Amino acid sequence: MAIARAQRDDGIAARLMPAVTTILAATLSVVPMRMPGFAVVTPAFALMAVYHWTIYRPELLAPLGVFVIGVYLDFLNGTPAGLSALTLLLAQVLVMGRRRWFVNRSFPFVWLGFAGLAGLFMAMQWAVAGLFDLRMLDFRPFAFQGVLTVAIFPIASWVLVRAQRAFLRAA
Amino acid sequence: MPVRAAAQRLGVPFLILLSALLIVLGKADILVVDRARMAVADAMLPVLDLVARPIETATQMLQKLEAAGALYQENQRLREENARLLQWQEVARRMVTENGQLRGLLKFPEDNPVTFVTARVVAESGGAFARNLLVNAGARDQVARGQVALAGEGLVGRVSEVGTRSARVLLLTDLNSRIPVVIDGSRERAVLAGDNSSRPQLTYLSSKAEVKIGDRIVTSGRGGLFPSDLPIGQVVSVEGSVVRVELYVDLGRLDFIRIIDYGLDGVLPQSAMPQPKPARQGKGAAADPAR
Repeated sequence: MAIARAQRDDGIAARLMPAVTTILAATLSVVPMRMPGFAVVTPAFALMAVYHWTIYRPELLAPLGVFVIGVYLDFLNGTPAGLSALTLLLAQVLVMGRRRWFVNRSFPFVWLGFAGLAGLFMAMQWAVAGLFDLRMLDFRPFAFQGVLTVAIFPIASWVLVRAQRAFLRAA
Repeated sequence: MPVRAAAQRLGVPFLILLSALLIVLGKADILVVDRARMAVADAMLPVLDLVARPIETATQMLQKLEAAGALYQENQRLREENARLLQWQEVARRMVTENGQLRGLLKFPEDNPVTFVTARVVAESGGAFARNLLVNAGARDQVARGQVALAGEGLVGRVSEVGTRSARVLLLTDLNSRIPVVIDGSRERAVLAGDNSSRPQLTYLSSKAEVKIGDRIVTSGRGGLFPSDLPIGQVVSVEGSVVRVELYVDLGRLDFIRIIDYGLDGVLPQSAMPQPKPARQGKGAAADPAR
C-alpha cells in the first residue's frame, strides 16, 4: 500500500528517474575517458544503478527495463547481445530476494553487499563470455573491472541518492 | 494487482531465457542483430559525440598544462629530431625517385588510389572482454567493413561493423583480432593475436625464428586484409614461446583515427558489408605480386 501511494505521489518524470539514470550509467561506461589504464577497463556503471534502484525503489525499475538497458549496453559495447542483459537480470534477481537486508542499513553495509554482488557479476560475465567464445578467458581483466567498480561505487551511490532525494518521495 | 504480480513472476525467468537465447543467436551472426546493433549506435551517435567532446577538451587542457612545464626540453628534443628527420627526408626522396624508375623499368602495376576519412572516436567498449571503438563515420562516408584504421604512429585495427553514420573498429588488442605480420628485417612471418590485454601476442612463429626485444612488427599483407608494411609496434617481451608486442599507437588515448580504403577485399565474409565498387575488386591482389 505504501508503495502504491508513493507511486501516485511521484510525477511521471520522477517515476522515470531510475530507468533514465540506469540508461545514463550504461552510456557513461562507453564514453572514452582518456585516463591511462582507465580506458582498458571501465567500471560497470549500469550494475551500480541496478543495485541502487533494486534496493530502494524496486517497483520503478522493472526487469523488462533492465533487460532492454542490458541489450542497449551490449549493442553499444559490441559485446554479444544478451550478455549484459542476462548478467544484469541475474544480478537484479539476486538483490531482489535480499533487499530487506540492505534497506535502512548503514552505507558500509550496502557497499559490502555491492562488493559481493560485483564479484558474482564479474564471475558470471567471465563464465558467459568464455562459453560464448568457447575458451578460457583470462580472469584478470574481469577481476580488475570488479575492483574498479567496487571502488567507484560510493561516488555513484552518492549521485543516485541525491537524484532520488531530489525527485522522489520516500517510499 | 494479483495479475500484475503474476506477470512479473513469470516475466523474470522469461527475460532471462530470452537473454540467453539472444546470446546463442548472436553466435550465428544473424544479420538482423548486426543491423539492430549499428542502428542503436547510429541513433546514439549525437549523444555520445556530445558527451565525448567536453571530456576531450578537459584532457586536452590537462595535456597542454603538462606540456607547458616541459616546453624547453621538448623544444630541444624536437630540434634534434628535426635535424635527424631532414636527413631521412633526403633519403626518402631519393628512394621515391629510384623506386619510380625501377617500377617503370619493370612495368610494375600502380597501387590502387587510396582514399581515407578521418573520424572521431565517440565510444570505447568498456567491458573486460571486448576491445573496440565506435567512430562517427559510416556508410555515408564510404566506410565499409574490412577497411583499415590507422592513427598517427601506426595500425589501430579494422572496421568490423558499419552503420549509416557510425562504424565499429575492432582493435588489434581484441580477443578476436588476428593480423598476419612480419618481423621487419628478418621477414619472419607470424600472426599478431589480441587477447584483450594491452599487449597482443605473436603466434604461429616458426620455432627457428629469432625474435628479440625491440624488433619492429609490420603487416605482411597476406590474406589481402591489410596492405603490407604498415607499422604496428615492437617486441617488448620474449618469455619462452610467448612474444608480446607493444603497439606504436596508445589505444587508450585516441581522439581521431583515419579509416583508409586500400581497395582490398580480403577474406572477410561479404554478406553483411556494403559491396565495394566492382572495378576495384581483384586489383589489390594484382598490385602486390611480391608477396
